[in-house]
Amino acid sequence: MALEGFLDRFIGCWFGRVVMIKFSNVSLVYPNSAKTVLEDLNLTIAEGEMVLVIGPTGSGKSSLLRLINGLVPHHTGGILAGDVSVNGVSTQLTKPGGMAHVIGIVGQNPANGFVADTVEEELAFGMEVLNLPNDVMRKRVEEILDLLSLANLRNRSIATLSGGEQQRVAIGAALVTHPKVLVLDEPTSALDPIAAEEVLSILHRLVHDLGLTVVIAEHKLERVIQFADRIVHINGEGIAKVGTPEEILIDSPIAPPIVHLARALGLKEIGTTVRQMRRLTTEFREIPITDKKKQEVAQLTEAISFKDVTITYGNTKALNGVSSQIFMGEIVAIMGRNGAGKSSLLKALAGVNQISAGKITVLERDPFGLEGRERRESVGFIPQEPSDLLYGQSVGVECEQADADNGVAPGTTLAVLEQLVSGVSINTHPRDLSEGQRLALALSVVLSSNPSILILDEPTRGLDYQAKNELTRMLLAFATTFKRAVVLATHDVELVAELATRVIFIADGEIVADGSTLDVLLSSPAFAPQVAKVMSPQPWLRVKDVIAAIEELR
Amino acid sequence: MKTTANIFTFSRFTSAVLAIASIFSLAGFTWPFFFVGDELPQTQMFFWLAVAASFVVVVLQISHQHLDAKSVALLGVLSALIAALRPLGAGAVGIEPMWFILILSARVFGASFGFLLGMISMFVSALLTGGMGPWLGYQLFAAAWIGLLAGSLPKKIRGPQEIAMLIVYGIVAAQIFGILMDLQFWPWALGSSTQLSYIPNGDISENISRFITFHFATSMAWDIPRAIFTSVLIAISGKAVLSALRRTHTRAAFLAPVVFTEHVK
Repeated sequence: MALEGFLDRFIGCWFGRVVMIKFSNVSLVYPNSAKTVLEDLNLTIAEGEMVLVIGPTGSGKSSLLRLINGLVPHHTGGILAGDVSVNGVSTQLTKPGGMAHVIGIVGQNPANGFVADTVEEELAFGMEVLNLPNDVMRKRVEEILDLLSLANLRNRSIATLSGGEQQRVAIGAALVTHPKVLVLDEPTSALDPIAAEEVLSILHRLVHDLGLTVVIAEHKLERVIQFADRIVHINGEGIAKVGTPEEILIDSPIAPPIVHLARALGLKEIGTTVRQMRRLTTEFREIPITDKKKQEVAQLTEAISFKDVTITYGNTKALNGVSSQIFMGEIVAIMGRNGAGKSSLLKALAGVNQISAGKITVLERDPFGLEGRERRESVGFIPQEPSDLLYGQSVGVECEQADADNGVAPGTTLAVLEQLVSGVSINTHPRDLSEGQRLALALSVVLSSNPSILILDEPTRGLDYQAKNELTRMLLAFATTFKRAVVLATHDVELVAELATRVIFIADGEIVADGSTLDVLLSSPAFAPQVAKVMSPQPWLRVKDVIAAIEELR
Repeated sequence: MKTTANIFTFSRFTSAVLAIASIFSLAGFTWPFFFVGDELPQTQMFFWLAVAASFVVVVLQISHQHLDAKSVALLGVLSALIAALRPLGAGAVGIEPMWFILILSARVFGASFGFLLGMISMFVSALLTGGMGPWLGYQLFAAAWIGLLAGSLPKKIRGPQEIAMLIVYGIVAAQIFGILMDLQFWPWALGSSTQLSYIPNGDISENISRFITFHFATSMAWDIPRAIFTSVLIAISGKAVLSALRRTHTRAAFLAPVVFTEHVK
């Protein structure tokens, strides 16, 4: 009995389970760098496990994922100590090409990886490369179309698909070769919550139905934590910790809002799902329902007003007669599905797009007529892809250009950048920056002209919690200290809860809700932040609201 | 890592094969000056032999893994780009936007890469434009040499001097290409009676002077626009394109050593 217990506890967890991925004493150093990206990592992933890799930007999450199929170090160069083996094959001896049939890999931006024009052709491409017979390819394409519910999209051009659909096609294209391991690098960071849900639940099903092994890196933990069997947490110094979600999250600096809630309430255990957390926090909700804390901003000076704005592209109406006003000092979040018309509205407000009907005034001017410096000083616009604003050959050149354009003292833009993110080398090419650094650079270029209104389209794509906090702090200071207006389109309800004073909800080109953040977010369960879901029916959005309300009662 | 490094170099064996192929093709271009005999030879044979030899080289490079997956990918993308650029100008009076990319790429990625790039991109563009014909063999080698020489220019020169050097090279290359292309059809172009015609078994100096006159009289209208167009493109876009290519060179970590050890420290 004693021996059996020993086996159960120490070996038994791998006993009878097939080891799929094994990292033994893995350390990694890239060429021309003294930094150890990973240090002495030991990790065993069994068949059918879903493992989540977390860590701050630049900590080596992507390196860990690419070590699995040997892209690191075979394609990047570098020194690899120890051994990585997948399905019993060491990556030392086999090049990535030789692993292609075992490992499927899906990147952050699926559009970068597509080869073919239509869904069907894209699915077939991987098999054509592996030289599979025609009848096998036909069968597998059908199988994948069904598995990922892509059948009604089969003949669609990939360019016309939504982000979630594209990501599903990318996963399908990785699965057609029947890999045993699927590796995904931030697959949902560019997706809205519903599309992300769609992708993650499909992954969950693949793990459970097919016994697929999935390794996934993701910043937005609140989306993915409930699906993970184990977590690998990499801190900045190359040290990795492996454990169950509860073990890792109890003291990890990177944690979803519900874990922060559990810590703030001083709970002994933490829950990783809303359901678990509700069970743990019943006592906190058993108080009379508190009043909604109004956090509205005095609507004094008008910044933007738009009336009956309609925008049409060909035959489709992107926006259909929307009207509202935005005042100085407000932070307005524009929410809604992909394709609801958020970006169209923002571009019109920034004066980038012409409107088909209606009237927009920004600081009592028509934004479309603003030119050059006057435009930069009234509206700062950061598009969805911040690199669209950056065309210099290095960060330094970009900052100098912004200083010169806006007639500010040399070094101003760089100083703003330093304040946003530290440690960006001025010699780096803007495209080599991380997603968060690139956003910070675009933001500092825009801020150097000192605009009265700031408009941001999806600013938190690909940002980790730390960068998001920094952005939140910055935008709050911009709006409250300088009494200026911020308009942002986002899918990120947690960000909206932290930041926005007002929410405009758009569906099918029409405004369906326009009110204070509290009212709008609490009225739709699907768009409510995690804390609100846990604490419903109490009207609390953020951890600090919960704490404040409880303090008040005591 | 220095980004000046060639991303790969031909092995000694391949260099030897290429040297032989190049001698064949050089003979194919210059035979009119040395030819002794009665019937004009079927010189295309030289080229098809040389082309075959060169393809053997490419296959050897890949199968012996001198060319890794990244280089093959880069070769493919750049060849496709150059091939697509060629029909853009429709060849009208020498407006061929392909040369400047070939020259700049060869400059960054090295002589051997430039050789392969010139040959493959010319071949692909011939497939695209339907320009297959007896002249193709000549074009392949002319483009390959332009790539090879561009990749052999001194590496240390940087900045404005580098652009100036490449502009000069672009002009020279455009002229060389014109001369070589003329040379391959001159013996047949004019019949045997004119003042500029080729004289079989004739004196070398006489033939050379006739050829030069022929070249200047007939094809300067093509070569000068080609030279101007190529050098203007290099002058305008050289800095940006070079830095983009060099960034590719660094990012793709072509020569970064891969080391497997027991322990890092």
